[in-house]
Amino acid sequence: MRKFTILMLIIVFSTSVFAGGYQVRLQGNKQTGIGLIGTPLVYGSSSIFYNPGSLSFMEKNWHFEVGANAIFATAAFQKANSDYQAETSNPIGTPFNVYAAGKINKLITIGVGVYTPYGSSAAWDSDWAGRLLVRDISLQAFFIQPTISFNIKDVVGIGAGFIYAVGTFELNKSLNYSGDASASLSGGSSDIGFNIGLFIKAGDRVTVGLDYRSEIIIKVTDGDAKFNIPSSLESLIPTDNKFESDLPLPSNFDLGISVRVSDKVMLAFEMNWINWSVYDTLSFKFKEAGDLLDSKNPRRYRDSFIPRIGIEWAISKKVIFRGGVYYDQTPSNEDYFSPETVSLNTLAYTLGLSIEPVEGLSIDLSFLNLFGLQESRTYLPDNFSGTYESITYIPGLGISYTF
Amino acid sequence: MKTISIILISLLVLLFSCKPVVDEFTPGSNHLDFSRFAVLGNSLSAGFADAALYRSGQEYAFPNIMAQQFKTVGGGTFNIPFMPTEDGVRPNTTSQGIYFSTKLKVGYSMDCLGNTSLSPVPAVENPDQQKLFQELLTSVAALGPFNNTSVPATGITHLFFEGYGVLNPYYGRFAENPPKDRLIDEPAKIDPTFFFFWIGANDALGYASSGGVQPLTPVSGPIGVGFDATYNAAIATMVSYADKGLIGNVPDVTAAPYFTTVPYNPIVLTEQAQVDALNGAYAQYNQLMEANGLPYRINFALGQNPMVIMDVDMPLPPPYEQFKFRQAKENEYVLLSIPQDSIKCGGWGTQKPVPNKYVLTELETANVESAVDAYNSIIKKAAEDFNLALFDAFTFIGKTTETGIVEDGITFTGSFITGNTYSTDGLHLSPQGNAMVANICIEAINGKYGSNVPLCNVTDYPPLLLP
Repeated sequence: MRKFTILMLIIVFSTSVFAGGYQVRLQGNKQTGIGLIGTPLVYGSSSIFYNPGSLSFMEKNWHFEVGANAIFATAAFQKANSDYQAETSNPIGTPFNVYAAGKINKLITIGVGVYTPYGSSAAWDSDWAGRLLVRDISLQAFFIQPTISFNIKDVVGIGAGFIYAVGTFELNKSLNYSGDASASLSGGSSDIGFNIGLFIKAGDRVTVGLDYRSEIIIKVTDGDAKFNIPSSLESLIPTDNKFESDLPLPSNFDLGISVRVSDKVMLAFEMNWINWSVYDTLSFKFKEAGDLLDSKNPRRYRDSFIPRIGIEWAISKKVIFRGGVYYDQTPSNEDYFSPETVSLNTLAYTLGLSIEPVEGLSIDLSFLNLFGLQESRTYLPDNFSGTYESITYIPGLGISYTF
Repeated sequence: MKTISIILISLLVLLFSCKPVVDEFTPGSNHLDFSRFAVLGNSLSAGFADAALYRSGQEYAFPNIMAQQFKTVGGGTFNIPFMPTEDGVRPNTTSQGIYFSTKLKVGYSMDCLGNTSLSPVPAVENPDQQKLFQELLTSVAALGPFNNTSVPATGITHLFFEGYGVLNPYYGRFAENPPKDRLIDEPAKIDPTFFFFWIGANDALGYASSGGVQPLTPVSGPIGVGFDATYNAAIATMVSYADKGLIGNVPDVTAAPYFTTVPYNPIVLTEQAQVDALNGAYAQYNQLMEANGLPYRINFALGQNPMVIMDVDMPLPPPYEQFKFRQAKENEYVLLSIPQDSIKCGGWGTQKPVPNKYVLTELETANVESAVDAYNSIIKKAAEDFNLALFDAFTFIGKTTETGIVEDGITFTGSFITGNTYSTDGLHLSPQGNAMVANICIEAINGKYGSNVPLCNVTDYPPLLLP
């Protein structure tokens, strides 16, 4: 039953491709509205993801938050030296987060969060020109993170969370054999990691946050590989096979600062460093017919830095506007760019609106619009070249209650 | 508050309608006129594949793929003298006369030892000879004029030959007046604006694929005899029809799986008794060679052994001519046409020398190579002299055998069946191989004329059909 529940969650959590490899930073709609900045901010229980250090600075004793986003992502492609064009018809991604936190005393706050920090799906048409590379892919990871945070004299917050991560993926691609031959790989596993954060309240106007989330490798050890091939090849390639593969979820280091410039206006800045260089090669090792099937597929990702700037403007006690912009430098390599993850250099802006209809209840609307900038890219091992561009819209809704 | 909401919502609606668009490439002809595209060539450009000429093979022929790509830059219709059959026809000369066969397909066949394996088998066993005869010889001339006038088996010297259609039914079937017509005159009938001319492979291949039995076309000699004069006359004629075009050079014909699939040493001996019996039988041969101061020796050992082959070029004095056989060398090619059962069960290569026509010896290979080199320098010079684009087939085929070529996830090599480049006859292109060649030709045209003809997707073409 538990497995089934997890499976259901994964289906619901199906998220979509956009920028920055396959990372999804939609872990709180207030933070999403302000340029996905959260490390130097005190936004209640969603700090479990953004900075466990600031969790203990929440004003009241309890804070609960649920949120979801809908990802509408489209990537367009034109083949090199060709008028051929293709477009993804991705399913709508719906990342989701749930947090709860409570103060035990002035010093200690504890909480738990369930969120989806990584995910990607790309669905190209089944007859598209790159179908021997990928037809469709979806990968998801969801994290469960119990967290403890210490508030030291209302100046310094230190927090740590233990992460239990579950990841799954499915990949379908065509094979160059007659009869629309194809391969389907799917699998999943779980692993553990941690999230630690430091929060400093430097005077009345300035806050600083630091956060580190560890690398987690999803090790698929018993994935299912199904091959749909001409019968004459079945003696060489088993139609039902098992495979092993590692999918790295990189570590993140975030540093942010917020400055309250007036009673109503706050500015926030953040820098994220993501250790994407861990995603160097996607390897598949098969249980049977390994000599023929085993593959090492270079990805050669590089670490990425994302600068963010955001503004929060409290029109009144009950209405708060937010906005932000950031530039997400793609970690993908221009020569090893696989259409499974259309990760381009991305410019994005965000908008947010929080309304407090009754004391303690906040309705948070967010809107994120990403523009994956047009670039020529090649996947050298398959000599597949073309120009990509993507546009993504992500409206989001969150509800939080504190008392 | 309400106004702000309305503005926000309309903004969102506006934004959602915005889609990514990539439109980097604009097809362009750069003033080239592709409206009437004429093709003159041999089996390779006719779409001959799987050892026969058949309808879908003609559709997948790379000139037709090029013509489809030309349509984005002002290209017109591309009329092909289609065969009336999908099974295909090929006339074969045998000792009993002409035998018509269909195309090949990959299927299961059982050898003389009772082992079943995947190999090319006839699409139709024992086909109705009358039916195939009709399909090949029924004239389609009334459907002309044709853009693709490529004729299988055509060499350079055939182009100016009056009545070629009587000798070659692949031409006779679309020639208006077979006893009088010359193939070189065919492209003029569509008043071409752009042409592709690819002749020369058969001038070397006829020799190579017959194990050196048929002659190579000599380099020098008058029009209709020598390659140089005839080629230049042909190109001058083509240029008189249309002054812009593409010509192709001759690939290294021995790189095709037809030559590289059967090893020179397929004889596997597992018992010492067999080895001793064979060596005993050849003891006299070895003594004779030693007595005449010749280096040839035949020796068998346990494991893999080179086959004993006929070699008509062995320098043996007159009384010993029946001894013109020896063991094959590593750099010699055994042709795919060799009856495999004769090796396995008929004593070929051990007790009986493999007949000359199934082996391209070292000397014959050198002859082919020097002929191809000579043809290609003539073709290169013609491209320069007549200011035409050049399709470097030699380099393309060389790359497939040396490193392989990868395109959109398909690896093109010179391997038989698995190499994606060739059809089941091991000599002619597969549909994907045709698509690859079409792209190389388009690149050659774009490079020469500054045009922007879009490339095709090789993955739009089917892989070899496997059971």
